Amino acid sequence: MGAPVLMKEPAYPPSRSAPLVWALGAAIPWLAVALGQVVWFVLDGRMPWLHVGVAAATMVGALVSVVVAPIWRYRVHRWEISPQAVFTRSGWLVQERRIAPISRVQTVDTYRGPLDRLFGLANVTVTTASSAGAVRIVALDASVADQVVAQLTDIAALGGHDAT
Amino acid sequence: MSSAVWQRLSPRMLLVHPVHEVLKQLPLLIGAIVLGSATQNPVWSLVGVGVIVMLGLARWFTTTYRIDERDIMLRTGLLQRNELSVPRNRIRSVQTEARLLHRLLGLTVLRVSTGQEAKGDNAFELDAVRSDQVAGLRAVLLGEQRDDAPAGEPLASWAPSWLRYSPLSWSGLLTIGAALGVAYQAGLGDVLQQWVLLFGGPWLIVGAVLAGVVLAVGRSLLTYGNLALTRRADTLNLVHGLLKVREHTYDLRRLRGGTLREPLLVRALGGARLDAVMTGVAGAGESSLLLPACPVGTARGVLSELVGNADVVAGPLVAHGPAAVRRRWVRALLVPVGVAVVLPLLAVPGWAWGLWGVLLVACAGLAVDRVCALGHRVDGQWLVTRAGSVERRRDCVQTAGIIGWTVRQTWFQRRAGVATLVAATAAGTKRYVLIDVPAEMAWTVAATASPWVADSVWCA
Repeated sequence: MGAPVLMKEPAYPPSRSAPLVWALGAAIPWLAVALGQVVWFVLDGRMPWLHVGVAAATMVGALVSVVVAPIWRYRVHRWEISPQAVFTRSGWLVQERRIAPISRVQTVDTYRGPLDRLFGLANVTVTTASSAGAVRIVALDASVADQVVAQLTDIAALGGHDAT
Repeated sequence: MSSAVWQRLSPRMLLVHPVHEVLKQLPLLIGAIVLGSATQNPVWSLVGVGVIVMLGLARWFTTTYRIDERDIMLRTGLLQRNELSVPRNRIRSVQTEARLLHRLLGLTVLRVSTGQEAKGDNAFELDAVRSDQVAGLRAVLLGEQRDDAPAGEPLASWAPSWLRYSPLSWSGLLTIGAALGVAYQAGLGDVLQQWVLLFGGPWLIVGAVLAGVVLAVGRSLLTYGNLALTRRADTLNLVHGLLKVREHTYDLRRLRGGTLREPLLVRALGGARLDAVMTGVAGAGESSLLLPACPVGTARGVLSELVGNADVVAGPLVAHGPAAVRRRWVRALLVPVGVAVVLPLLAVPGWAWGLWGVLLVACAGLAVDRVCALGHRVDGQWLVTRAGSVERRRDCVQTAGIIGWTVRQTWFQRRAGVATLVAATAAGTKRYVLIDVPAEMAWTVAATASPWVADSVWCA
């Protein structure tokens, strides 16, 4: 084995509204938890120390997943498509770089959840014949996602039909 | 054979089906007999038996299959008709199996595997055809020339000495445990307690272990006795079993490598198992088994033969460096250290510390063994990765089959400067993992194995 191979990072960040969407997506379940706690406090106000403890834990959890994680993820997430391969970087605590050759791409899927639609985002999943090899490019602007899908289907010659 | 007419299974199944149906519908039959004796009217019992036998006969009349140029089709079902069609170019392997009754009548069950885990109604199973038709059917299904049916080159054959590895499997003890569980469930707990009083607990345990060993050896003998692995032009043929003979044909064009598995106890006696890594075939279990626990030399020899490179199978590996070693030790010692923190708080008797010492030594041994195992080897043709202690495995995967790479780092791994490298393939277990490779080496491995990584625009 020769000199160590260094990989450049993929070039493009996700959409600018990605952190906001991630934060909102995380905030909704945490709001439900907080609401449940308020109801619990109103119904049964004994043991105030327990309420304080649970509320503090909720605050920390919410802070991490609503503020820290989306910002951290935005700083990590990158993607790029070359004529030969798709390359992504994702995650926050656990980070992943994943590369797959376009010649082996089997399907290109676009997914848009309710929040994604509200903010005009889309997620692209590129699957290969291996269940361990799917590459996900998340939180792209819908127009960028359309270009990505068109580009991928074009290169992979998946067929001349509608690109989505 | 490839004429597109609907064919029936062997008429001899008219004898087998009713018997199997009676065995399958045993609760129904018992119900009918109970009803018959309760109502003092034996007609009920006869009707019950009659209906079940008729159902069995009907299965033969309602099952037909067809092999045409493109597909194979199977129609089954009396009330609910089911037609299963499999494109012939999707056939990955053909398995055959003959239970005792089938063998007495010269019949064989033939199962076609497409790589997807087909269960129940979706499994393409011809139950059963005449045994002398099997070779022809197999050749047609796998698209071989029928003429090249010479004996082929034998790769390995079973020897009684292989039985020495079978007491080391858990299957015997598990069987005994399950039997004890059932006995307790059935209200035999008192009997068991009387036995404990009669024979004494320790002797009973010795007896149970001995019985477990006998069971495990017997089972291994019945399942793998007479095993023979043969290589033909482009297939690999595995036959095994004493009472129930199983035959499995692997398409060598789909072979992407092999996995040597060396569980701790089997390894202690110098043994290993061998699994095939094949496109579209699950990487574990019976569908990919090439050799059960056998001398490691045999397993390595067979894999070298298939791979065509002895270094891939037994050659030295590149170790993963000090950070990986440190992480193995930290993980192994986490449990004993945790226990050492908790124990003083619990006011335990002195001998508990003795147990703790045993635990510490065992964990340290585990760490040493895991450190020894960890390594990889990569060139343009083969990726080899070895890891594990209790379930050690050495995966040899053709790099041409790798269709994706993942470099994964947890927060701890980033601090330690290591990464987990995952090679994605369509074969075997689908993901082959290199644990705790030095971070700067991860992409080097990927680029060495896959030219499309080395040639990519990101590779400096």
